[in-house]
Amino acid sequence: MAEFMGYHRPDGRVGVRNRLLVLSVGGLTGPAARRIASSLRDAACVILPYEAGLIGEDKAIHDRAALGLASHPNLGGVLMVGDNPVMLERLAAGVTARGTPLAAISMDDCGNDVFELVARGGRAGARLIREMSRQRRAPAPLSALTVGLECGRSDPSSGLVANPLLGHVADALVDAGGTAILGETTEWLGAEHLLAARARTPELAAAIRAAVERREAAAVAAGVDLLGTNPTPTNIASGLSSIEEKSLGSTAKSGSRPIEGLLGYGEPPAAPGLWVMDAPAYAPESLTGFVAAGAQLILFTTGVGNSYVSALSPTVKVSANPETCARLNGQLDFDASAAFLGETAPEALAEGLLGTLCEIAGGTRTWGEILGEGDEVVSRFGAAL
Amino acid sequence: MKGEADIGRPAFDAIALAPADNVATLLRAVPEGAVLRIRRGAAVVEIAAAEPIAMGHKIALGPIAAGAPVLKYGIPIGEARVAIAAGTHVHVHNLQSRRARRPSG
Repeated sequence: MAEFMGYHRPDGRVGVRNRLLVLSVGGLTGPAARRIASSLRDAACVILPYEAGLIGEDKAIHDRAALGLASHPNLGGVLMVGDNPVMLERLAAGVTARGTPLAAISMDDCGNDVFELVARGGRAGARLIREMSRQRRAPAPLSALTVGLECGRSDPSSGLVANPLLGHVADALVDAGGTAILGETTEWLGAEHLLAARARTPELAAAIRAAVERREAAAVAAGVDLLGTNPTPTNIASGLSSIEEKSLGSTAKSGSRPIEGLLGYGEPPAAPGLWVMDAPAYAPESLTGFVAAGAQLILFTTGVGNSYVSALSPTVKVSANPETCARLNGQLDFDASAAFLGETAPEALAEGLLGTLCEIAGGTRTWGEILGEGDEVVSRFGAAL
Repeated sequence: MKGEADIGRPAFDAIALAPADNVATLLRAVPEGAVLRIRRGAAVVEIAAAEPIAMGHKIALGPIAAGAPVLKYGIPIGEARVAIAAGTHVHVHNLQSRRARRPSG
C-alpha cells in the first residue's frame, strides 16, 4: 500500500507542506500582508481582495473560501490581517475549531498605522514559524489525500494521453480510499452524459446536467460564442475545434469511478471518493476552489505549457506533448510524451505518476514551488453593496 | 528496428481512439500527399493526406456529409459545416460545435 510522509493535524487531516500563510482578509491590508510575508522565509501570502459589501452567494463563497484557506492542512500556522475586526474574530473562531495555530491583527488593533501592522505582523508570524517548525513528518496513507484535477492551455495531446493518465491516477487514489475532485463545469459540455451516467443517484445525475445547462445558458444569454472563449485561441491553434472536443478530453481526468456528489465552489467533500465541483474553468479560480475545499495537491496537465500553480497546494505539472516536454524541461514535473509517441500506453505511466505524486506529497518540490509561482483567486459571481 | 531518422517518430502517424471515429488526431505534422498509418480502435488503416496538416490537428478518415456529426472518442464533437473530403484537415473552418448556440431566427 502506497503511503507518503505528511504533517498530521489536530483535526485528523494530513498536510503535505508545513507553511505559514499570511492571509489578508479584504484588500485594504493586501500590500501590508505582502510586506509581512516577504520578511518571513517561505511564508505564503494570499490576498482576498473583496470583503465589505459582499452579499448572497458571493458572501457565502468568500466566507467558506476564507475558512478553507486559513485552516488548510498544508499550513502549520496562519497570520490573518484585515480591516474588519468582527470578520477576523469570526474567521479566527472557525480556524481555532480546526486546530490551526493562528494570530489575527486588525487595522483597528494598530490605530490604523500600517507601519505598526507590518511590525506586529512580522513578529507574530516569526513566532508562529518557530513554533510550527517543531512539527515532523510521519507516515500517512493515500486515503488522507484530496487531489484537484486540472488542465490548462490544453492541446490534443491532453485529451488523448495526459488527461486519461490523470484518470488512471484518480482511479488508483479513489480505490485506496482517497479523494479526487474534477471542476471546470464548462468543460463538461458535450460530455455531461458520460459524467451523469457515473453519478451515484438519479438526483445527482440530474444536478450534473443542470449545472451544465446553467453554464450553457449563461453563455447564450451573454451572447458569447464559446469558440474563442472555451476553447481558447491557444487551444484552437493547437488543433482543438469545439467545446465538445475539449470536454471529452478534459473529463477524462476524472477516470472511471462513480461520482459521489456535486460540490459548490470551495465546498469540502463530505466523504472520500470522486467528486465534481460546479466552478469556473479558468485555472486561478478553479485551483482555489479545490484548495479551499481541502485539496492538498493538484494534478495539472498542459498541452503547450502553463506556469500557473496554487500558492498552498503543490501543483504537479504533466504534459504528453513531446515538443512541450523538450522545451519546458525544468518546468514540468512529469513527462508523459512516451505515451503520445505510442511507445507505451497512458495506463502504463500511471504508477510512475502516482509515485511522483507521493514523492511530492512527502516534500520533494515541484518546479512551480522552486520558481516561486503560485497564487489563490476566489471567484466572484454577482454585485456588491 | 528504428533507424536514426525514426527517433522521436511515433509508432503511428495518427490515432482514432474509437472504431466509429470519422477523424483521427495527428501525432506528427504531415506534408501533402503523405500516406499515413492510422491506429483506428485496434485496427491500422492507411490514408493519404490531401493537404499539409499540423501535429494535434485532425484528418478526415472518409467523406463527411454537410451537417453530419464529426466523431472523436466515438462521440460527436460537432457537425460538418460543409461536405468534408477524405484526407483533408478538419478544424474550425469546416466543423462547428452543436453547443451554446443561439436559437436561429
